[in-house]
Amino acid sequence: MSGRRDWLTALYAAGITPASFLPDASVGRLGEPDDETGAAVELIEDEELRVHPVALEPSPATVGFLDGIQQWRVVGYDGVQPIAVAYVAAAVRRRGRDGRLRTAHWEARELVVAPAGTLDEARRRAIAETGLEVVTAEVEGPVQPGQALEALRREVHRARQGLERELGRRAIDGMGETEWLVVDGQLAVSAVLARHPRALGVIKSHGAQFLEGRHLERALTVPAAHRTSVFRVRGGHGRTEVDSWYLRLWPWEGRDLYYGLIRIEIAAAPDPGARVPGISGWLLAERATLAAPDARFDRLLYPIHDVETYLRSRAPRDLLAPPASRLPRTGT
Amino acid sequence: MIERPSPHPADPVPIGRVVATEQKPATPHQFHFWTAKETSVGIGAIVKVQEPGPVQGEAGRAGGRGKGDEGRVVYGVVTDGFAYSDLASPLHDVIGAEGDPARAAGAPTARAEIRLWTAAVLRQIPEEPLQPVPLGDVHMASDADVAQALRMDAYLHGARPTAIPIGLYTSGGLESPVYLDADFLVGPEAAHLNISGVSGLATKTSAIEFLLGALFQHFPPHRGKIAAVCFNVKGPDLLFLDQPGALEEEDRRRYDRLGVDPVPFDRVRFFAPFKADGVNLNTLRTHGDLAGAVEPLVWGLTEVLDFAEVLLNRDDIDAKADAFIDFLADRVVRRDFEDGFGGQHRVETFADLERLFRGIFDGLENAGRGDIWRTHHIATIRKVRNRLGNVSTRCKGLVTDDGPSSDLPWGRLEDRAVYVIDVANVDPLGQDLVFARVVSKLREHLERRDLGVDAVAVFVDELNKYAPADGADTYVKKMLLDISERGRYLGLSLFGAEQFRSQVHRRVVGNAATQVFGRMDGDELATPGYQVLSPATKIKLATLPVGELMVRHPHFTQPIFVRFPRPPVLRGRDGVERYPPAQDLPFEDAVARQLTRLDPGVRPNEVKDLIAGREEADVRRALGAVRRERPADLLATLRKRLGGRVAPEAARDRAAVPPLTSIPEEPY
Repeated sequence: MSGRRDWLTALYAAGITPASFLPDASVGRLGEPDDETGAAVELIEDEELRVHPVALEPSPATVGFLDGIQQWRVVGYDGVQPIAVAYVAAAVRRRGRDGRLRTAHWEARELVVAPAGTLDEARRRAIAETGLEVVTAEVEGPVQPGQALEALRREVHRARQGLERELGRRAIDGMGETEWLVVDGQLAVSAVLARHPRALGVIKSHGAQFLEGRHLERALTVPAAHRTSVFRVRGGHGRTEVDSWYLRLWPWEGRDLYYGLIRIEIAAAPDPGARVPGISGWLLAERATLAAPDARFDRLLYPIHDVETYLRSRAPRDLLAPPASRLPRTGT
Repeated sequence: MIERPSPHPADPVPIGRVVATEQKPATPHQFHFWTAKETSVGIGAIVKVQEPGPVQGEAGRAGGRGKGDEGRVVYGVVTDGFAYSDLASPLHDVIGAEGDPARAAGAPTARAEIRLWTAAVLRQIPEEPLQPVPLGDVHMASDADVAQALRMDAYLHGARPTAIPIGLYTSGGLESPVYLDADFLVGPEAAHLNISGVSGLATKTSAIEFLLGALFQHFPPHRGKIAAVCFNVKGPDLLFLDQPGALEEEDRRRYDRLGVDPVPFDRVRFFAPFKADGVNLNTLRTHGDLAGAVEPLVWGLTEVLDFAEVLLNRDDIDAKADAFIDFLADRVVRRDFEDGFGGQHRVETFADLERLFRGIFDGLENAGRGDIWRTHHIATIRKVRNRLGNVSTRCKGLVTDDGPSSDLPWGRLEDRAVYVIDVANVDPLGQDLVFARVVSKLREHLERRDLGVDAVAVFVDELNKYAPADGADTYVKKMLLDISERGRYLGLSLFGAEQFRSQVHRRVVGNAATQVFGRMDGDELATPGYQVLSPATKIKLATLPVGELMVRHPHFTQPIFVRFPRPPVLRGRDGVERYPPAQDLPFEDAVARQLTRLDPGVRPNEVKDLIAGREEADVRRALGAVRRERPADLLATLRKRLGGRVAPEAARDRAAVPPLTSIPEEPY
């Protein structure tokens, strides 16, 4: 983020009130809902949702893992409208036969995000000269600062998803014949990924429920090292149909209902029974290496955790408050 | 010699990067860097940190002042290494593998790991202002970098280089020669070398043999002549320095890299006392095929008297006895002396001294002049007579009663020659005498500048025995301390070796400017003297392979690990296998052998005939004279020295004397 001080100075000189505010969930992807409203579900493996034991299987020789991060910070106010600087990045780290992850693709964008109408031409020019990209959040009329912040967050989120889609496409283009790609999150957000036979989405959050009644109960109480029957998801945000199922990595009894529970998405195919047990066994084997000390280690695959660590290590240090800062964090 | 560093060396690919945190900051003397998991960096590796910025010019390289904003270059040596993963708790690994180590090993993803290294700064360029190490790229050092890092450039190049190769710094496929500064090895700036390490694995003797060879070949001509005096104190260690040893191709390559010719010493003279019989040499180098004969080391009264303190214990030497011995040395020995009773004496041997004593005792008794002779009480004289009289008995073979002495060629030491004195089988008293006298003579002659050479390296093994940290102040210890503290001004350097450095007198090891360490004992490394070394360096020292040493030298700000090739001489153990010691010969044969070695034309039978029936003492005396004179005709000289043979006179038959009166019938 070289030159940020320059454009900030210009921005402040142009009447923007300086600010330094780190909104919640601005440091990563925490708290994003797995919102899948409007999706239709069809059981395709069994007559009704059943639970299948999963045996450990070896993973494919070469697997790429795709993940992204987003970080943003409010740096000023035009009146009461927040102006933020954001950093989004995504990477694909490829695991070879030696079990070590190496970066195959990486891309990052630095953005200035502001509600429409807050940055005039002169201010935009000052920012553009520093090489930063300006993204405008569409808001209808004057809004509360909190609503504006949510609009900014959505833009940052969108930018990050776009980057992930782009890197996913690049990864698919360069994949070997036996290589797989594991995506952190929904596969269905990208048509290219959702149609590829060796792409896999691993979803850790369960904001959206595709099942109901006894099926839902069976899915959410699936024992460790077991999976549910495969169901096909149509519609929703993805628009491309995918096959999906639940897999429990760790025993949940005594903990939370979602403990160790992941949902998997793959491209829709006629015979799920042929590939789902093998994929489930492979993902079950991914429990080791444990992604601890990440708080989501029960559902977070270690390679995905590694990609996140990689992305954070390359993120600009001056965007977020230094973790070892001795200044107390404010409550607002 | 290695090439001068280019002012703008090509930038190789970095192998690491300096990291500094609040917990582990970079300082002017230490820094941390990380490398890939697969790296050639190891403990002892020399690395170079290049700060981004304009490359330093020659002025900077020469250690000039900088403003601090140029591209600083820092050289460091790796002293510690760390590896860790992102595992927060070992328990996480157990959980991930569900308690099964086999499953952990089969995990599809290897944890992210780090190789973090700690390096001690060897040198910063520019040297002023001294600043913390910059967060720059880390490179493996090249040959030229090693020379810069170790400040060898000061004595490696220039009109009068004084570099002596000590070994090869090897790391990451690099083999860079490492040099000592002769001015700091054998004086006058600093001197002395001390080598420590466990027996058998530290290769102390081999290291000294290699270093002496390198020293002889690289000692700068402008520094004059140099020789070495080596005390062989155990087995056959140093007895085959003139014989070629087996070298492997790897050794030859290292010699080539170091610019040292792998040849044995061409000028070696061996000295050893006789055994008690006075004709067989007390050494293991007695095989007939060995070209270089061992010369006898035999001393008489005049050589020994100055070192009476060595031979007599504290109870023997009181002020009175000391005064009387001084009187003998100053006024009697080698002078024409009148004993006050009409007797004329010229005391040159113990036998002469005994005659003097007898003259004094008889004179006092006959003259009835009481108990005082020349202010010395008769009891003191008797005591000194008794003690000195025993010396030749106690050091039989080394000290002769009445024969001529045979000594090192004082005043005629040759350039690049090694003088090996074999005292391995000599009793401790004799060893003390040899050490004390040889070192004293070296010092005397060097002070007078008439030794024949300008510098001498004295190699003494087993300093734990001869200069222990505790115990009585022996004469030998005093001698070794004297060399350590004053030797460098004279050109007298002590190359000492021992197993346990901590148990050698502090001033002896402390004065050694160059310290060398081979494989070390763990207990020894736990002693306070090694606290400056990092735990990793200690571990490396404790597991050092044969042929690798750690070197500390005044120009090196940190210890450096080097490899040296096998010495090009026959190892003692191999030497006695190839040249088994000859059996002790009967007296006549031993005399004949000594003469045939002096002149192969001499026929042993002639010698035997010549000495047949002679007193052994007479033969020994005559043989000593022949050895000393080295005449053209050995037998003629021997015959002359033996003197004319006095034929035994046959007893005459006595005629029976008849009794004056006959006793016809004697009843009893």
